[in-house]
Amino acid sequence: MRPSVILHSFGYFAQGALATVAVSLAAIAIGFAIGALVCMARLSRQALIVRLGAIYVSVFRGVPLLVQLLFIYYFLAKFGVDVPALAAAIGGLACSSAAFQSEILRGALNAVPRGQGEAAVALGFRSVDIWRRVLLPQALRISVPPLINEFILLLKASSLVSVVGIAELTRVSMNVASSTYRPLEAYVGGGLFYLAINLCLAGFGALAERRLSRAGVR
Amino acid sequence: MSFDVLWRYAPSLASGFGVTVFCWGAGGALGVVLGFLIALGFRAGAAPLRWALRVFVEVFRGTPFLMQLFLLYAGGPAIGLRLSATQAGILGLGVYSSSYFAEIFRAGFAAVPQGQVEAAMSVGMTRFDTLKRVILPSALVAALPPIVNTLIVLSKETVVLSIITVPELMYQAQTMAAETFTAFEAIFALAVFYWLLVEVVSRLGRRLELMATRFLSHEAL
Amino acid sequence: MGAPVIEIRDVKKAFGAHAVLRGVDLDVAKSEVVCVIGPSGSGKSTLLRCVNFLESYDSGSIRIEGKLIGYEETQGGPRRPMSTRKLREMRREIGMVFQHFNLWPHMSALGNVAEPLERVRGLSAAEAGERGRAMLKRVGLADKAEAYPGRLSGGQQQRVAIARALAMQPRLMLFDEPTSALDPELVGEVLEVMRNLAGDGMTMLIVTHEMGFAAHVATRIAFIDGGRVIDVGEPRKVLHESREPRVRQFLQTYHDRNAF
Repeated sequence: MRPSVILHSFGYFAQGALATVAVSLAAIAIGFAIGALVCMARLSRQALIVRLGAIYVSVFRGVPLLVQLLFIYYFLAKFGVDVPALAAAIGGLACSSAAFQSEILRGALNAVPRGQGEAAVALGFRSVDIWRRVLLPQALRISVPPLINEFILLLKASSLVSVVGIAELTRVSMNVASSTYRPLEAYVGGGLFYLAINLCLAGFGALAERRLSRAGVR
Repeated sequence: MSFDVLWRYAPSLASGFGVTVFCWGAGGALGVVLGFLIALGFRAGAAPLRWALRVFVEVFRGTPFLMQLFLLYAGGPAIGLRLSATQAGILGLGVYSSSYFAEIFRAGFAAVPQGQVEAAMSVGMTRFDTLKRVILPSALVAALPPIVNTLIVLSKETVVLSIITVPELMYQAQTMAAETFTAFEAIFALAVFYWLLVEVVSRLGRRLELMATRFLSHEAL
Repeated sequence: MGAPVIEIRDVKKAFGAHAVLRGVDLDVAKSEVVCVIGPSGSGKSTLLRCVNFLESYDSGSIRIEGKLIGYEETQGGPRRPMSTRKLREMRREIGMVFQHFNLWPHMSALGNVAEPLERVRGLSAAEAGERGRAMLKRVGLADKAEAYPGRLSGGQQQRVAIARALAMQPRLMLFDEPTSALDPELVGEVLEVMRNLAGDGMTMLIVTHEMGFAAHVATRIAFIDGGRVIDVGEPRKVLHESREPRVRQFLQTYHDRNAF
């Protein structure tokens, strides 16, 4: 194996890595918004809405991501909607991530000790204030570690959007492999870049956890 | 999509499903065994071995499955590893899942209360017997739910194999779609099929989990 | 003497098939300190939580300063649950201190005390802060205003919780086993605060295991077992001269340990 091949294509890999991170960031942000809605649906008082939320989670967690992505791609093609592949890819990742994020949020809300809400009720707080000032701040703090984990998973899942032509890190690796006829170096190189991204994230995650415990949430 | 299209392709779809199940089963089994060995290596191995294993686990958990497949299938020949697509698929699933199973087993071992091990040592049990009769039963009971979950997740990963042309279900469905210009319907049917499959397997998995946990805890007693 | 601050009449409550309260009668007059004692599972905590309707009761009535809580006053016919708004208004006047403090960990001690003042009493941030500091001073924690609950001992947390309830200037205060979750050496500081409160004339209904406290601070003690008040009266009468066998049996272990 010749490491020089990797160094030679360093620029391409770096661009691909950037694209991977950008796509994942967009997807997790949109996924959070959708996931929050789905979570609210699951906590609704209307049985139908609760059911719809549960179905969303079941479908987007049960159907493999690749199938979801291709489905959106063909769905848009069939109905003649001209959406750029990038938007479809991010949308697909977001919808899938939303299912997992809604479960994270639901778990976090359940993890807030009951007594805190009770104290607010006993003091005469209005419902909206109990949510805004007591439950949500706590739930969001509890969600941060699993959300960071979800982001790491999303980064890896983003490699699948290479099949719809998005020029992220996996596709770049494929291009390098075919243009240099050295697949081993190409994929090792790509893999190294993925590991580098993960390393940065792990550091960020540890920092976030330390900051959160300092705020006295333990 | 007309019914006779489905009928014509039924054999290839069925074969595709068979390949999916085969790859999932073989890959999962490989992963569990490998993961278990790695976890044992963490416990009992010398420092250099533990370090090497840690690198292995971090690499295969930190990179996308698709990249790992490409590496094995396309990059393999460069180190003398000439695999067919299906072989690469099974090996890929096995190695990828082993990194997750290794962590699960490691956590399972850690979950065994230290007091139980101390009790065994204080009556003079050998390390091997302690492992076999005290640690393993508890560790396996603790590890079972995450193992079942990981296997279910792994079943969904099998579709990625279609990208390196393993003739599993998704590959066959896409072939049918391309040949009959029914891409949308085919993918839609595929989505529904996988959704139902995962739902059913998840429920079965939970029931199996309960049965196996009861069995294992009886064994331990 | 006037109407009792808390009037509990024939209150019954069941959780499914399990009857927890089987007809409880109890009054608490203004500035009285009533301690409720009894074995676990006797229903004492449930009774307390019914007083501010954190738990609903199935039949009977609980009146706070003459006003029925939890249900609308109806002349005959089935009872309607009280509107959320009215319930909230009534709860503002009732202070509650929980066994596990229930402080909000993402707010400082001062934050915990000031938050209800701002949200519920509608005070400005400045006024709430001022009153909050005064309350913390009253419970002896003026220097801990900026500290977060995670950095406070159990006793300090409970005192902050008392300050939080007290800051609302409630008409009465409910205490649900306020020292049961504390390490023994921290119990004293909380009981001290409660004793001072009693001395200031606060109407208090306290579920507790601290017999010494009950013996010296309570105006009356009520013994509850099996969902009913078995005996009630002055501390001396209930603790030392009770004619009820269940009361004597329960108190035997405390007597043996010279607890009071």
